[in-house]
Amino acid sequence: MNVLNIIINWLNAAVLAGAPLLLATSGEILTEKSGNLNLGVEGQMYMGAIAGLAGAWFAEQWFGVGGMIPLLAAVLFAFIMGCISGLIYAVLTVTLRANQNVTGLTLAIFGTGFGKFFGEVLGHKAHGYVAVGAETKAVFGNISVGKLAELPVVGTLFFKYNWMVYFALIIAFVMGWFLNRTRKGLSLRAVGESPGTADSAGINVTRYKYIATVVGGGLCGLGGMYMAMVNQKGIWVTECVSGYGWLAIVLVIFSTWSPLRAIYSSIIFGGLTVMYMRVPIPGLPRAIYMMFPFIATIIVLIITSIRQSKEHAQPASTGLNYYREER
Amino acid sequence: MQHFKKWLVILLCALFVFSMVACDKKGTNEPTDPGKEPGKVTLENIKIGFVHITDPSDQGYTYNHNLGTEKMKKELGLKEDQVINKFNTPEDQACETALRELAEQGCHIIFATSFGFEDHVLKVAKDYPNIQFCHATGFQAKTSGLKNMHNYFGKIYQARYLSGIAAGLKTEKNLIGYVGAHPFAEVISGFTAFYLGAKSVNPDVKMIVKYTGSWNDPTKEEQIAKALIDEGCDVLGQHCDSTAPATAAEAGGVFHVGYNSDMRTAAPKASLTSAIWDWSRYLVMAVNKVVAGEEIPVDWGEGLKEGVCDISPLNDAIVAPGTAEKIEEARAKIIAGDWDVFTGPLVDTEGNVVVKEGETFMEPASAPSWDHILEGIQVPKE
Repeated sequence: MNVLNIIINWLNAAVLAGAPLLLATSGEILTEKSGNLNLGVEGQMYMGAIAGLAGAWFAEQWFGVGGMIPLLAAVLFAFIMGCISGLIYAVLTVTLRANQNVTGLTLAIFGTGFGKFFGEVLGHKAHGYVAVGAETKAVFGNISVGKLAELPVVGTLFFKYNWMVYFALIIAFVMGWFLNRTRKGLSLRAVGESPGTADSAGINVTRYKYIATVVGGGLCGLGGMYMAMVNQKGIWVTECVSGYGWLAIVLVIFSTWSPLRAIYSSIIFGGLTVMYMRVPIPGLPRAIYMMFPFIATIIVLIITSIRQSKEHAQPASTGLNYYREER
Repeated sequence: MQHFKKWLVILLCALFVFSMVACDKKGTNEPTDPGKEPGKVTLENIKIGFVHITDPSDQGYTYNHNLGTEKMKKELGLKEDQVINKFNTPEDQACETALRELAEQGCHIIFATSFGFEDHVLKVAKDYPNIQFCHATGFQAKTSGLKNMHNYFGKIYQARYLSGIAAGLKTEKNLIGYVGAHPFAEVISGFTAFYLGAKSVNPDVKMIVKYTGSWNDPTKEEQIAKALIDEGCDVLGQHCDSTAPATAAEAGGVFHVGYNSDMRTAAPKASLTSAIWDWSRYLVMAVNKVVAGEEIPVDWGEGLKEGVCDISPLNDAIVAPGTAEKIEEARAKIIAGDWDVFTGPLVDTEGNVVVKEGETFMEPASAPSWDHILEGIQVPKE
């Protein structure tokens, strides 16, 4: 193993670790841009994970085929389940005006329990492992681009990933374009910064909050599906989300509420989380390695608060519910 | 809107009251601490408690221990309600609470199955001298001076040795990877036995060990498995809870030897075999002792010979030819009793002879203690 190989493989692993984070982070950024601080990402990812796996598994059972149909079922179910989780949050905080922090934390606990419970139910149904077949595993494996993947360096860096990595990238780009280049994106940001002002300007605050939170939840659900279908290769494993929902919330801060910056920060973040497995620094304890992503987040927080740039700050109304009567 | 809220509140209140009433039934008619009323304990009235760190859906340690419970129930003809399980108990104050609850619910014998429970078990055992407490993988019963505190484990290293043979014969690059949980004697003893098994059939084999830092973190297990594959390992072993190393091996086109459960259905193209437990032997023995009024051994650990541990069926489609024969040979040697896994000469990474030629290191009955890193094994420097 020469140094170049270590670095290239490390970057490859960083992208793989960053992709589910990028999906969930994009979802959470969309949610927070509407002024909803949803701390329930972990739970939403669990709900997406179990729904995606269940979708793929049942599709295999019912249609008797592996491959594309279970894949589509997984995507659809995970996204819908994520949307439902976002809807729960939106109903509680936007319509019933429950405290956002409490609702988010409760959703995290609820979703985790939801995922584990139905995982267990599915396990009983399957009499052992809930496992998808080889064909379905393959469609969630690395895409085949023929000779391109064989190229030295470039192949490993760009062409040895599963489709969801590219999908996550596209989502982040689309989200960046939507937030910064479209009228609706501008309105959404206005809702997050100052819902009262947005309301006066004739923007339907409730509708924006609902749609952003629900779609954001859907993306978190897809992030959860990544954990179950790509990381665990379509096997139900109780702890499959492993705290990535919390990491995604941290990553929102790390990428300072920008889906475009989330692209490289998710790779940095992913790289830091897998660093101890791949880059040996003699004498450095593993516990210190494991702190790297969080130390980096603290540094970013300090820098952004020193610079006090409005571009890099949390949307002003995040965490606060909007009462039209109290404008 | 206002009405909607009012009705919602009323509905929630009704639901709340209903759930309180529904739950209440269970609370009554519970017998008190059996220690206070020393009636005759029989198989018909014995109550058995379990405290587990996760639940059977981990498909690993707890799943397997629970299989032991089920087997015990069948063998002893116990009823469903004679066994109380406390799943998903963290290794903190909650463990103590769970133990006390079990004691108050009338359990005669309580099994705590995770290493980190031990201090809590010791504390609670002191307060309930007439209840038997059995703790897996611990080591403090001997020195605690408590008559009702017991440790149990088994010679899993013997099973790991056998599973290592399958790995040693299969590897072509002579490089095995190992996903470990913690740099801790139980893990080190396990991978050393695994390595010795591989080396017994393949003298050139080397092994790289990487730790996840957690007993159960499937994501890290997957990432570490991939890191090991990237470093050139073509067979992976594991000492962690999930199937992640098995499926990662399958995706990476390499092979895998598991732990705790048969992983062939999870990774049919990669899983060669697994080192597995049969805890029912201990559970049946301990429960029978309580019923007979005899003492449970303070320190218990049986192995391959008694059937406490073994390997799961070989994946015939992918194991190297001759694997079964080699394993049977080693098994016969271990069962005959004149040879054991840690037989010298064994040399550690610094060149010190840790077990001399002709000598054999024997693990204590519970809680493995081997912590030498042998020549040929690469562990992270910390």
